[in-house]
Amino acid sequence: MDNFDDDEIGKLLRLKKFEQPPPGYFENFLHEFHRRQRNELLREPLWSVMWQRLSESFFRLSIPSLTSYPAAVAAVLVCAAVVSLKIYQAPQPDGYAVNIETAAPVATLPVDDFTLSSPVTLATRSLGPDLSRQIDESAYTHRAQTPPRYVLDRLPVSYEPSFNF
Amino acid sequence: MDKPRTDEDQALVARAQAGDAAAFDDLVVKYSPRLYGLIYNMTSNHEDTNDMLQDVFAKAYRAIKGFRGKSSFYTWIHTIAVNMTLNFLKKRGRRYHLSLDDVDASIQNDKEFIELTSTSSPVREADLSELQRRLNESMMKLSEEHRAVVAMFHIQGMPHAEISKILGVSEGTVRSRLFYANRQLQNYLDEFRKNPVG
Repeated sequence: MDNFDDDEIGKLLRLKKFEQPPPGYFENFLHEFHRRQRNELLREPLWSVMWQRLSESFFRLSIPSLTSYPAAVAAVLVCAAVVSLKIYQAPQPDGYAVNIETAAPVATLPVDDFTLSSPVTLATRSLGPDLSRQIDESAYTHRAQTPPRYVLDRLPVSYEPSFNF
Repeated sequence: MDKPRTDEDQALVARAQAGDAAAFDDLVVKYSPRLYGLIYNMTSNHEDTNDMLQDVFAKAYRAIKGFRGKSSFYTWIHTIAVNMTLNFLKKRGRRYHLSLDDVDASIQNDKEFIELTSTSSPVREADLSELQRRLNESMMKLSEEHRAVVAMFHIQGMPHAEISKILGVSEGTVRSRLFYANRQLQNYLDEFRKNPVG
C-alpha cells in the first residue's frame, strides 16, 4: 500500500475549497455587515461619534497639509509672543492712590498753623495714606456728589451755652 | 486562484476613501468568498469564520482611510484577515469543534476529484469523506502559522511571494513552513490509513 505523497496531499487539500457555507450565505453577508455596523455605531458614545465626524471633516478639508513645518513654527512663535506679553506686562499701579492725589489734592497745614479762626477739618489735614484712601473710596460712592461732611460739624465744641456779647 | 485586478481595486478603494460606502460594499462582495475560505481553513468552524469575517471587514472599513496603497488591497485585506485569525486562534487555544463537513455538490465535476477517485491511489482505498474529515483534523493539529501557510498555498492557490508579503516573512520561511506542514499531514494521514478506526 502506497503512502500519501506531496502531490496527493496537495490535491486533497485543494478539494477543501468545495467546503462552502450554507447556500445564500454570501448574499446575506453584506446585509449582516451593514446591520452590525449600525449596531456598533449605536453603541458608540456620542462624544466618540462627534470626534469621528470632526476628524473626518478635518481630513476632508486637508488641514493637515496646511500644517507644514514653517506654518507650525510661525504659530508657535505667535503663541509664545502673546504669552510673554501677558507675563512680562508691568503690574497696574494702585488706581485709588493715583486718583486721590491727582483728582483731589489735599492742602496740608502744619500743626503750628491751627487757630480757632481757621478750624482744621479732616479735609484740610494731611491724613496719611490710610485715611486718604478711605476718603478716596468714598468718592466713588453716592456721597461723592454731596458736600463733604465734617466731623466737627456734628459734635459741639462745648455743651455750655455760648456767650452773647 | 487568480489574483483580482489591482487597478479595479484601486478605483474602489479611492472611492471608499472619499466616503462612498457603495464602493466598500463592492469590495466586501468581491473579497468575502475568498477570505471566507482562508479563515475557514484556519479555524475549521463556520460560526467562528462568520464572526471573524465580519470583524475583518469592520476593521478594514475603519482603516480604509489610512490605507496608503504601499501594497495592493488584496495583500492588505488578506494581511488583516490572517493576523486577526491568528490572534483569535491563539486566544481560542484548543477549544474548537469542527463544522462545515458538507462538501459542495460541484465537487463531483472537479477534475482533481475525478482523478483522485478514479486512479489507483491511497485516496481511492479510503472513503473520501472520511479522508476529508481526517484531513481537517490533521490540519487542526498543525500550528496556527503552519496551517495559515497550507491554507494560503494549497487551498487558496497563492504564490510563495504573496504569502511572504501577507505574513511578513521571507519566501524561504514560507517554503520551509510548507515543507514541514506537508510532512506532518503526510504522517497523520498515513497513520489513519494504517489504523482507520483510530
